[in-house]
Amino acid sequence: MGDELSHILPGLRDTAIITCGAYLIGAVLGAFVAAARRVRRRPVRLLAWSLVELVRAVPVLVWLFLVFYGLPQYGISFSPVVAATLTLGVIASSYLSEIYRGGLAAIGRGQWDASAALGLSRRDTALRVIVPQTLRVSGPAMAGYGIWLLKDSALASTIGVVELTYRASAEAQSTGKGMTVFAIVGVIYLLLGLPLALASRSVDRRMRSRWSMS
Amino acid sequence: MNSSSPADADGTSAPPLVAPASVGVSATGICKEFGDHAALTDVTLDVDVGEVVSVIGPSGAGKTTLLRCINMLEIPTSGRVTVGDVVLEAVDGQLQQPRSVLAALRRSAGMVFQSFNLFPHLTVLRNVAMPQERVLGRSREEAEASSLALLERVGLREKAHAYPERCSGGQQQRVAIARALALKPAVMLFDEPTSALDPEVGAEILAIMRELAADGMTMIVATHEMSFAKEASDRIVVMVDGRIIEAGAPAEVIHNPSHERTRRFLRAVLNR
Amino acid sequence: MIAALAVVAPPDVGSFGYIAGQLLDGLVTALKLTGATLLIALPLALLLAILSDSRLAVARWPALVVVELGRGLPLLILLYLMYQGLPQLAVTLSSFTTALIAFSWATAAYATEIVRGSLGAIPRGQFEAARAVGLSSGDVYRFAILPQAGRVALPPLLNLAIQIFQLTSITFVIGLPEIMQHAYLGTTVNFLYMKTFLMAGALYAAIALPGSALVGILDKRLSRHVQTV
Repeated sequence: MGDELSHILPGLRDTAIITCGAYLIGAVLGAFVAAARRVRRRPVRLLAWSLVELVRAVPVLVWLFLVFYGLPQYGISFSPVVAATLTLGVIASSYLSEIYRGGLAAIGRGQWDASAALGLSRRDTALRVIVPQTLRVSGPAMAGYGIWLLKDSALASTIGVVELTYRASAEAQSTGKGMTVFAIVGVIYLLLGLPLALASRSVDRRMRSRWSMS
Repeated sequence: MNSSSPADADGTSAPPLVAPASVGVSATGICKEFGDHAALTDVTLDVDVGEVVSVIGPSGAGKTTLLRCINMLEIPTSGRVTVGDVVLEAVDGQLQQPRSVLAALRRSAGMVFQSFNLFPHLTVLRNVAMPQERVLGRSREEAEASSLALLERVGLREKAHAYPERCSGGQQQRVAIARALALKPAVMLFDEPTSALDPEVGAEILAIMRELAADGMTMIVATHEMSFAKEASDRIVVMVDGRIIEAGAPAEVIHNPSHERTRRFLRAVLNR
Repeated sequence: MIAALAVVAPPDVGSFGYIAGQLLDGLVTALKLTGATLLIALPLALLLAILSDSRLAVARWPALVVVELGRGLPLLILLYLMYQGLPQLAVTLSSFTTALIAFSWATAAYATEIVRGSLGAIPRGQFEAARAVGLSSGDVYRFAILPQAGRVALPPLLNLAIQIFQLTSITFVIGLPEIMQHAYLGTTVNFLYMKTFLMAGALYAAIALPGSALVGILDKRLSRHVQTV
């Protein structure tokens, strides 16, 4: 088992880069998208909404192929890791924006009222009143999405990123011990997701109102 | 809780809750429409410096909407609001003055809400201190010192490091009052401050409000509490269906209403 | 003679019509896989949901492990596990069957959580009232609980079905002739990556977008009479 492990583990680096990179992109971009969906001007709201719907309607694999194989036709090429990170980042922003919206909806109007009545600037209201509360409410779902993104990172293997799944598949092909190899890499994925899963579940128990896939 | 008189144990007077410079408020010709529904029609109200006006009336009469138009939480469809020297005018639902004027108005008018609206992610102390730091530009030390003094004044010093969820409704409302007063407003607006509280607890809030009034604060209070309206206000204004139908001295309005609608409302409210 | 010409004249591999034709073949396979998966996974999920709440540890633990693995592992790993793993145990199956096993496992795991969530959303009082009226245990579930739980579980389950349909795209790695496989093979001939994959994406979206919209409408109609306690 030690042999297989030493061949698979180096893939951890790219798995980590893609997962963390995409999450960061998604977390920041998602905030802008969520804000755009609450703007007063209808065209902006509609644009943001349709982008989110479009991103979610097309499978992740298709987006990966479009970015990695399609864009070079127009002169835009990325290395596999960068392509995977950027693509998953944009996809993450759609899902995270929905999570943020759920959190925002849970915040009563009174919070905006009180902030306005006190004379807090829009920036202070957003950063010191709204965002902290949104993060508190959305926290579990955000952790849950982190696990989802970890699982999606495996798809990067299809465009040639040498991460965990790619290495596992290569190892299985060369040794013929597919069951062993994938059992090992399966355990690795589970262990990676463990801290997030624990965090998400413990708070999830307190807020038992949503029933969704993650 | 010490709803004490200004003199405390060692003989010195506790500082008044109010900054000495309160101003008058004028709302002229306020109209507010939500879609087809006219929530306020041509409402005019002038409040003198240091005057306490109670606004009473059935639910849906527009009391809350009027208060929210005065501090511009809602921009009126048309009308003018003057707080001290700050004048704001609305035409076709649009404010005619720049945001800086709006900010000035918000600084002079403090508001206390029916549902308290404390920031749940901040301790009681931070709830009162943070707005001072951000709006008045005070340092953290200054803001917290001032906050502690105010919390002391409303009897909640020991709750300074607790979170709002650990405080009872009455305590939360007291914090809310302290938070609004911390910004040294010239006018205080109260939107049914005791409606979400038990009568006993509500009485404590009303006691604080009476102290404020005695200290000379200009106050507009939307309320169902007839005792406060009768005993603590200088004037009562009756609103029905978005209009002011009657106004006058408390005793006059309550015992000798001139409008039939007022009589009906008072009968329902006072004979429970 | 005309037939001979048809054989000799090559198809225009770059035309929309040709590509679309290829992709539509793949669509049928994808839909078949989705359908078959749901047929297996949903009853399995009901079973797993019951087992995971059982008082018997012997019943509970295996069910929980199956669910946690199905939900926690990337679907691609499950797919490879079946495809490259089963042969190690001297078991060889068609790519469709392999995909079916992996997808059913994952889908059953997610569906179990949805079912458990929907059962948990029924207020305690419902169970008690049904018992009090005199219904037997079986009837309590059959007539009082499951109809309500069903209403709650239906929209998320339908959304799950749509997601599974979209995930069939990954079976391209094991050579299943579904949409992405046809698309990828097509590009090796026509090199029109953008066009081909855009069409593939559009095909998925053509099902997913109306699907989600319909589920949204269904959700609103179903929750019309729901009281939040």
